[in-house]
Formats: sequence, C-alpha cells, structure tokens
Amino acid sequence: MPQAFGTRRPAGPSGEVAPEGAARILETGYRPYDGERLGPSHATWTLTRHTFQRILGLRRPARYKILPVLSVLIAYLPAIAFIGATALLPGARVRTAVPDPSAYFGFVTAALVLFATLAAPEALCPDKRSKFLGICLASPLTRTTYLIAKVGAVATAMLIVTLGPPLLLLTGEALQNDGPRGFGGFMQTLSQCVFAGLALAVMFTALALVAPSLTDRRAFASAGGILLVIGSAAVSNIMAFGLQLGDGWLLLGLDRLPFEVTARIFDRHGPPTPSGTPLPTFAVAGVAIAVTVVAAGITWWRVVGSEVTR
Amino acid sequence: MAEPHTSAANVERMPNPVVVAEHVAKHWGATPVLRDVSFTIGVGVTGLLGANGAGKTTLLGMLLGLHQPDGGTLLVLGGDPWGAGPEVRTRLGYAPEYDALPPDVAAADVVRLIAELHGLPHRDATGRASDALWEVGLGEERFRPVGTMSTGQRQRVKLAQAIVHDPELVLLDEPTNGLDPAQREDMLELIRHVGHDLGMDVILSSHLLEEVEQVSDAVVILEGGIVVAGGALADLQRMGDELVVDIDGGSEAADGLVGLLRDAGVAATAIAPGRIVVALERAVVYDVVRDALADSGVGLRRMQKRRASLEEVYLDASDAARAH
Repeated sequence: MPQAFGTRRPAGPSGEVAPEGAARILETGYRPYDGERLGPSHATWTLTRHTFQRILGLRRPARYKILPVLSVLIAYLPAIAFIGATALLPGARVRTAVPDPSAYFGFVTAALVLFATLAAPEALCPDKRSKFLGICLASPLTRTTYLIAKVGAVATAMLIVTLGPPLLLLTGEALQNDGPRGFGGFMQTLSQCVFAGLALAVMFTALALVAPSLTDRRAFASAGGILLVIGSAAVSNIMAFGLQLGDGWLLLGLDRLPFEVTARIFDRHGPPTPSGTPLPTFAVAGVAIAVTVVAAGITWWRVVGSEVTR
Repeated sequence: MAEPHTSAANVERMPNPVVVAEHVAKHWGATPVLRDVSFTIGVGVTGLLGANGAGKTTLLGMLLGLHQPDGGTLLVLGGDPWGAGPEVRTRLGYAPEYDALPPDVAAADVVRLIAELHGLPHRDATGRASDALWEVGLGEERFRPVGTMSTGQRQRVKLAQAIVHDPELVLLDEPTNGLDPAQREDMLELIRHVGHDLGMDVILSSHLLEEVEQVSDAVVILEGGIVVAGGALADLQRMGDELVVDIDGGSEAADGLVGLLRDAGVAATAIAPGRIVVALERAVVYDVVRDALADSGVGLRRMQKRRASLEEVYLDASDAARAH
C-alpha cells in the first residue's frame, strides 16, 4: 500500500537518538525539522510581505529605493508643507490657499501614476524574468494565491500613497482647529478620504499590474504603463476637445478618471468639460469599474490562466 | 528503488513507495510527452534518466502538481499532487534546472523565504536557512546576493532552498548543469549526503548517465515518453552481466568458438580478434564455455565477468523500445 500521508522515514546519523541516560551531542549540524508548519495562508502572507518589501526597495541596495521613496515624497511633501504653512503663517489668506482633502487627491494622483508605472512592475516582472515563479509555484502556493499575494502587496503599497497623505492633511487641519466643522463633519470627511483612498488604490492596483503581467521586463512594463496613461489622455482630449465628439470621451483618459472618481466621492464635480456640463456620476462609476475589471481580468488571465511549463 | 510497469501487486511488494505512477499520460497540445508511463519509486536516491525532450521535466512538473495528467493516476507521498497540490508540495523540495533565484537578494534571504513559503514560521525559517546554507558549504557566503555568486555556488543555493524545510522528497532537475568536474563531484557528494544521511528521498533528473550511476540507488529511464527500464541499479546492471573470454588465435578461432557456443544455445559475439563476449544469462554458461573451449582445442588466456554499465543498460533499453 502507498505510504501513509504524513509519515516519513527516519533520518540518518543526524536524526539518531542516544539511549536514555547516555550522553548526547546536541549540535549535529543540519537536523530534521519537527516544529510548527503553517498552511497555504502563511505562504500567501509571506509572499505578500516579501513583495511589499521589494516594491519599496527594502532590504535591497539604495538604488532600488529611489523611485518608491520619490513617489512617497511627492504624495506626502505637499501635505506636510501645507500643514506647516498653516501652523507657522496664521492668517485667512494662507488657509484659503491650502486645499481640503478632496482637492489634495490631485497631488496624490501624480504620485500614484509614478508609483504604478515605475515601482509596481517590481511585483511581477522579476519573478518571471528570473524564473523564480517556478520555485514559488513548487511551494504550497497556487497560481491564484500567488496572484492574491501580489495584488495584496501592490494594493498595500498604493494605500501608503492614496490613504496616508489626505488623512495626514485632515488630521493636521483638525489639530489646528481648521478643516471640516464639528465632529460629524470630521467623520464624514474622514470616511470620504478612506473610501476615495481605497477606490483609487483598487483602480490603480488593477492598472499597475496589467503591463507587468504582459512582459517580464520592468523597463517595458514601465514604458507600457506610461504610454497607457499618456495615450489615453491624448486620445480622450482629442475626441472631446478637438473633435468635440462628446464629453463622455473624457472618461477614457486615465489622467482624468481618478479626479472624477474622488470628486464624486466628496460629492463634487470633476474638472471642466467642453460643454460645461458635469459628467454624470453613474457614467464615472461605470467607467471606473469597467476599467478596473478589464485590467484585473487581463492580469488574471496572464498569471492564473497561463501554464507554467518549466 | 524503482520499478517500471507497476501493477497493484508491485505496489504491495515495495514498502513505502514515494511515487507511484500508473498509466500516466500527458500531451502538450497535439504532442504526446508522456505515454502510458508506469513506475514505482521507493526510498533513497532515484535517477530519472532520459535524453533531452524525453519528458523528465514534464514528469517533475506533474509530481509537483503543476500539470494535470491527461490520463492515469499519480501518487506522491501517498497523495494526488494535482488534487491536493498545496498539501503535497509542503512536503516536497524542488530545485529547477535553470537559474531561478532573484540575483539581487542575499542567499540567506532567498532560502528563508522558501522555508516560510513551505510553512515554517519566520524565526524557524531564519535559523534553518543558515543551517541549510552551512550544510551545502555556503555558511560564510550566505549574506552575499545570489547574482554575485559563481555557478557552483548558485547551484548550492538551489539545493539549500530545496532542503531548508526538511522535505520528505527532493526533486532535483539537472543539478550539475554548468559545473566543472570538481564542482560536479562536490554536488554529487552533497546529493548523496541528502539522500542517505538527511532522511530525505531524492529524485535526480539528469541526462548524464555517469552522475546518475554514481549516486543513485535506482533509476527510471524515460525514452520517447515511455519508461523503457527501471528498478534498482544493481538489478538492472546484473541483468546485463557478460563474460569476456580472451583466447589464443585470431578471428578464425574466435568465430569458431562463437559458432560452438551458439550451437549450445548461448548468445556469444566476437568483438575483436581473439576476444568474444558471452551473455551470462545463467550459471551453466560457465560450463558451456569450458566445454566449447575443450571441443575446439583453443587455448584460454583470460575469462572475466563484466557488469554492464548504466550506459549499456540505457542503450539496450532504448534500442529495445525503438524495436517495438
């Protein structure tokens, strides 16, 4: 009969046990492991943590930290500067110049695009290029849990940029007795910040992984991501402003879509349109969801659907 | 130990089979890679032999549960690797043929990561990563990025990550690729150590006969997607035992002796002037040779039993498979 699942043959010399009462050599080099073994969820969490560290350049040489640190600085520095300015330069003019959290997402979007196109490819490309993916899939991970780990790592890194700065600004304003009025107003703005931050993180995580799922070269993935943002912006602006084919074309611009999404979450209108009429909220939500689903579908198809033959 | 063409009775005969394959088939598109493959692998070091393209890597992928068999059944450590992939893979170690480690990460970090992926808690994984790297002779080098290491060192890191979580079965795909002769000897010694001293069973996939012969207790030989031979190495080699007979005289004497032996029902071939080879199929062959020598009046210079090399076993099995 086949060997019972969970049993194994005893080790050789290193696994031998001396008779009771006899002297034993405890340090025998490599020893069998009889400690705790955690399940596939631990493997998923481990890969998430490892990928998150790689994306941010942690435990790696300094040159790998430049892009992620730059992205984070672009997102946080304006918030820190605004809080500092209102604290050090009291006065109504300064306060009116400081954006509220909803407007601050404009600063965040630049950092997000930078992060999604330049730092996020680190999550997928090196595994394919160095063929480390094969070793990962020889562990308790499956293709699905592998992708979940990667998505979790990228989304967490995105949240540093989408969630942290607006919350920092909101907290700073509140500490200086500025910002939303009353506890109710603060809580409403806080929930809007969290919701907007989560929405942007989800959308940009999906977008950030499309190009890396199609190539194993980081440079190609970054260039592809940048082209996607610039190309979609150019096409949408030409259609809407140049050819005047309708305001709806603006939603295809990945430079504009995040502004529209966050504006709706804060119950405001997005940037101006050629007709002067704001874009309908259902259209903004529909396009944002469609873009996210299509991007996630491409990544799923490439990572989970592809056969690892080696 | 390994046995080909396993039946249920065979499984009963081999205690604690590590891998049992029965009529396993796999196609890539319209191309058949494995056709009706059956074998049983037991404890110890087993060589998986075959030419490039014989289906070795595909078979390893199926043992890991990465590919679903198109037919047949496959059991690894008693479990179905496709249906219970994560549970089976927790107990397996794998070192692929190619360079597969991130070059910019320290060896200790890579090995620790693999240990954690196989379920070890972070603290245990850290300690065992060091132990495994010491075990393969990279203790002093463990904090160097993998990309700065030599080919031999990178192969050792791959072996370390395959054994760090103390698996029950280690799958090694062409582990001596790119190594010079001295490094190859060291690696084979390490593999022997893993298989015989550390309590792990090893499947060593290779197309290099001599290295499989050097470290393996058993072999499974794949050719054109089928198992052409398999079993304990000693048994396979014994099946090819021969008697080399050197005699006085040249080709004529040798041909005459060969004729007498064949008449007596013994397979014999003249391979050089004054030298014939007789298949040692049964013990009575010695008596038949003695009688033939006496009848022909040819003087005997030397008679020696010769064990077939793995290469001869492999070539014979391949030829037989092609003939069918």
